[in-house]
Amino acid sequence: MNTNRPFDCRNLQPLALTRRDMLKSVSAGFGYLAFAGLSAQAAGYQSPTLPKAPHFTPRAKRVIFLAMQGGPSHLDTFDYKPKLKADAGKAGDKGKLVAPVAEFKQRGQSGLWISDAFPKVAAHADDLCLLRGMHTDIPNHPQAFVQLHTGSARFVRPSLGAWTLYGLGTENQNLPGYLTIAAPIALGGAQNYGSAFLPASFQGTRMDAPLSTGPVDKKARKNDTGTSQGIGNIRANLSATAQRAQLDLVQGMNRDLLATTGANPEVEGIIESYELAFRMQSEVPKVMDMSKESAATLQAYGIGQGSTDNFGKQCLMARRLAEAGVRFIEVCHQGWDHHNGLKNRIASSCVAVDQPIAALLADLKQRDMLKDTLVIWGGEFGRTPTNGAADGRGHNAKGYSMWLAGGGVKPGISYGATDDYGAKAVEDKMHVHDLHATILHLLGLNHEQLTYRYAGRDFRLTDVYGSVPKAILA
Amino acid sequence: MTFRGAGLFSASACLLAVVATAAAADKPTEKISPDQLAFFEKKIRPVLVAKCYKCHSAESEKVKGGLLLDTREGIRTGGATGHAVEPGDLKGSLLIAAIRGEKKDLLMPPKEKLPPEVIADFEKWVLMGAPDPRDGKAKTAKKPDLADGKNFWAFQPVKPVAVPQPKDTKWSTSDVDRFILTKLEQHKLKPVADADPHTFIRRLYFDLIGLPPTPEQVAAFVKDYQSASGNRESAIAKVVDQLLASPHFGERWGRHWLDVARFAESSGKERNYAYPEAWRYRDYVIAAFNADKPYDRFLREQVAGDLLPAKDAAQRNEQLIATGFLALGPKGLNERNREAFVMETVDEQIDVTTRAVMGVTVSCARCHDHKFDPVPQRDYYAMAGIFKSTETHFGIGGGKNRQPSTHVPLVKSFTPPPPLTQSAAAPVQVASASGGKLTPEMEAKLKQFVQKNPKLAIRLKTMSEAEKVIAFERLQGNVKGAKPAKNASKYPETPAAPKATGEPNGQWAMAVLDGKPADCPIYIRGELEEKGPVIPRGFVTVLGATEPAKITPGQSGRLELANWLTAPENPLTARVLANRVWQHLFGDGIVSTPDNFGATGERPTHPELLDYLANRLVANGWSVKQLVREVVLTRTYQLSSTPAAKNFAADPDNNFLWRANQRRLDAESIRDGILAVSGRLDPQPPAGSCLSGLADTDLGRAARTSLNTDARHRSLYLPIVRDMLPEALDLFDFAEPSLVVAAREVTTVPSQALYMLNSPFIRENAAAFAKRFQGTSADPKERITAAYLLAFSRPPSTAEIARAESFLKAQAAERGSSSESALTTFCQALFASAEFRYVK
Repeated sequence: MNTNRPFDCRNLQPLALTRRDMLKSVSAGFGYLAFAGLSAQAAGYQSPTLPKAPHFTPRAKRVIFLAMQGGPSHLDTFDYKPKLKADAGKAGDKGKLVAPVAEFKQRGQSGLWISDAFPKVAAHADDLCLLRGMHTDIPNHPQAFVQLHTGSARFVRPSLGAWTLYGLGTENQNLPGYLTIAAPIALGGAQNYGSAFLPASFQGTRMDAPLSTGPVDKKARKNDTGTSQGIGNIRANLSATAQRAQLDLVQGMNRDLLATTGANPEVEGIIESYELAFRMQSEVPKVMDMSKESAATLQAYGIGQGSTDNFGKQCLMARRLAEAGVRFIEVCHQGWDHHNGLKNRIASSCVAVDQPIAALLADLKQRDMLKDTLVIWGGEFGRTPTNGAADGRGHNAKGYSMWLAGGGVKPGISYGATDDYGAKAVEDKMHVHDLHATILHLLGLNHEQLTYRYAGRDFRLTDVYGSVPKAILA
Repeated sequence: MTFRGAGLFSASACLLAVVATAAAADKPTEKISPDQLAFFEKKIRPVLVAKCYKCHSAESEKVKGGLLLDTREGIRTGGATGHAVEPGDLKGSLLIAAIRGEKKDLLMPPKEKLPPEVIADFEKWVLMGAPDPRDGKAKTAKKPDLADGKNFWAFQPVKPVAVPQPKDTKWSTSDVDRFILTKLEQHKLKPVADADPHTFIRRLYFDLIGLPPTPEQVAAFVKDYQSASGNRESAIAKVVDQLLASPHFGERWGRHWLDVARFAESSGKERNYAYPEAWRYRDYVIAAFNADKPYDRFLREQVAGDLLPAKDAAQRNEQLIATGFLALGPKGLNERNREAFVMETVDEQIDVTTRAVMGVTVSCARCHDHKFDPVPQRDYYAMAGIFKSTETHFGIGGGKNRQPSTHVPLVKSFTPPPPLTQSAAAPVQVASASGGKLTPEMEAKLKQFVQKNPKLAIRLKTMSEAEKVIAFERLQGNVKGAKPAKNASKYPETPAAPKATGEPNGQWAMAVLDGKPADCPIYIRGELEEKGPVIPRGFVTVLGATEPAKITPGQSGRLELANWLTAPENPLTARVLANRVWQHLFGDGIVSTPDNFGATGERPTHPELLDYLANRLVANGWSVKQLVREVVLTRTYQLSSTPAAKNFAADPDNNFLWRANQRRLDAESIRDGILAVSGRLDPQPPAGSCLSGLADTDLGRAARTSLNTDARHRSLYLPIVRDMLPEALDLFDFAEPSLVVAAREVTTVPSQALYMLNSPFIRENAAAFAKRFQGTSADPKERITAAYLLAFSRPPSTAEIARAESFLKAQAAERGSSSESALTTFCQALFASAEFRYVK
């Protein structure tokens, strides 16, 4: 695919390559060493997730992706369309034009137009880089959500987070480098944080949403075996020394197995996963423990305040994980598929996330982390200016908004535009591939150089697409 | 109009070179003034011919971007990214943008900017309305080409295959081996040694019944295998036959089918309602594999069981339950629009039927012709008509469900033909599904029906037209508004349940019945508002289906579909199953994309062997057990998994099977294995499911704790609620029950390690495992050996014993654990080891 790329002898492989032997070469020949009867440690084995040098100086060191599943309406939030309001009720492309359900105002020094649906995020307008010319390929949730995460709706491909981890490794070897909180089980499920043909170590680890404080959940908590505590089974069953001894026994058996059957990336993965799991037991509870957060912080995130409690916890958790050195963190808020009851449902979805997101931005800034943390907000697509069914909006893949903040993007600007009604992107259009290229660029990775050879060819996150709009780089 | 970087003209976009041309109807020849004609002929056409036709005409070797510029229609319609020329609109004309080189990555002709005056001519031409004398329909750049498509290997009929003769005539013990060995010899590979009997017996047990052998079973086999007089082959055959006869065989192999049948016990999606009767389908599948029901019959029952004749009530019920296959897919119960809901259901049914049975993705053709396979959109809607003529009874009533549905009553008496008297006698309170019109076909059918029964014939003569209509519909099992018999139902809130075809037995099933038969229009781009021509019902034409299908009048066409799917001429059904059997026994299929035999799938590594196996399957009356037996008795299946350096260098992926693949157990086998080894497995199937009682129940998140996931039954009986899988299954890559899953993922994540180290389930079972040694010899060596035999079906080496012994000693001495708890910790380590979750 990359015919213009200089020939690189490191990629030269003797045979048509398969997933398995690629895994072998990437896990640093661990299997061959074990095969030769050497202990991995003695041979200086290095975890594939150790930090790696980027291609060039990065603007962002980590990513917090606020995924809004369902296709949030840009027309009622971040894309100001006065003509849509003026012409509301008239016949549009399909059905009648529906006026935005929230008032737009200019915000901050930048004067960006943002609606009252996001009053608290709007107060951070001068930190935001609005992408108003987004578009994607398929106006259908599962495909579009998977494409947002992997670049491809049709094939199983590694996720953005897995590519990031593959390219950069992670700072904290005691935590997974890629954590996704409350990821939907449907809509592609694990594919959205999977590693596909990349080695399994780059796969995302799913955490449940932190328990909310409602009465139903109290009951759930009582019966809970640990699954709802973010990462299941994290509480150690034995004392650290006893468990270490047990683990040494397990790992001894695992190395024996490896020695009898030759290179086996899956068994190597098991060995690695036990070591990481062991370290996680002490690290995760520390990160998860919000009890030392001040009352003011909890309040700022809206924790314990009804509708904001759940997402507030997710956002605070995201900040804690970012602080702890996790490379890629995704949090997810579902339910943005507003085909009907637009006014009320937009309001309730926005209320649930507005304060938590605003608090996250403020918190990162206050800790001087916003400068190298890239915050991404958006869903799999946007919505139509007309009503698909009753009092709502349909799916719109042709034009929608997302925003970036921190991590080397130009703050307080808007890039790209849709047409007068917000039906499709017409100016400085940005496809999901372009977004991916941009994210990698901000992380110091050239999306055309971050390749992985699989099934005989070099694959990229962006396939043969993607360009980085220089206008949005700080 | 999308305008994607390199998309329009890149090499990869050629794959997508499908244009929407033929849709544009015939238009009368445009009127062009002589001046305009002159301008076109002088300024425009020569440039198009010289600069564009090479890649954008019907004569092009390879049409780029799906764009054809050699007719008016083609140039106006445009290609993959939009209209090339929009008369009068420079901005809307992609062609102008391309020749101007306005957009990055899109300069046309490539690498050659046209002179400014030529560009100006084109602009002028567009502004004058793009007058264009070139009549004629644009050729479709790459419509799915059926004639061409039929040449694709998977759509070719399965042919008789001659068994090859490898040079080494001694190694093979079967014809399958000869295929494998021939390929190995061609690639200068040598098969490794046979597996040792301990490794082999564990592999065989897990593959055939999903459980480890007991130490006694291991010992008996090893003795038999090694005895000097005994014949190895017969020792293996003996165990194979025992396992094939075991009721656990159906549990193991039935579960493989449940993966592709996307079996689950809830609706999934936004409102996750319980399917309290779904377990009947699960049990049906298990029983079918245990009974070795011919696979073609098994498929016909699932697609059209309601339309098949039955000899008694039991068979009638069994066949109704089988159609649960079509009813238990995920449902978006929040959908307000009935038509949208119906079309989603139809889509899901097309998807599961074509992928589970034939490994092709017909549902890709919902919105457009299939991009890769020769499946035109009209084939999709030909099949959609069949399922749209079908009523899906998934048994979820009111509440927040916007799409209520009933169950179908099962019967305790059923005498063929169904009791028309009873139906006819019913008061005419029942709404007619067809609107009360009696057609001559209906009358003929009724007459034919009563022929054998003079009493009924007399009765028929006295019936009014309306009564006849209802009688007919009863006959079809299709009545709206019938009330279920009193006291017979635990679903009192389902007034619209269809009338039973006999005396109800008080039980209900998820099933499908024929609805109002009708052909379906094409939904353009899959959208409800835009309908195209009505397509007569039929099947997939590239697979040799006639157009339209011959469908019994008054029926949906499912029966004909079922027969077509399982006809010996169907090139895919037998191949797909043979491939799956191979995959479940070797780890990878001969086609490594088992649910995609299309153009984007992988090609078979051993195409002749695949056809050989498909032929054997059909020749043996579609017996799955026979096919499994044949494969496990091959020498190839019995190979060791030990590496051999030379082979490894040449074929590291083991594509040619010079050794056995080391395979991770699936989630159920891991959990069942743990329960079996700890002595806590309840081998009996449960009665029903813990969801059985949950009629009309929206399963909230809280249901996770109330569902009985700590039962000791085999894992396949755990409640399979969409989006709420039991942890033990979810963590180890259980099949996503909303999707057709022909090959499960194998992931390795720290959550699995944490589960093995800390979960209550593992701890309890480790304790129970350790307890098995209470009262046995206190010699740690003996205990360790016994534990290894239980967990790994092999004795430990001396080094392993020494390591385990020193571990136990250290646990007791240095860390002060009791010997009992030290043993528990040791037993847990065995569960946690990679060896436990692998077969070698």
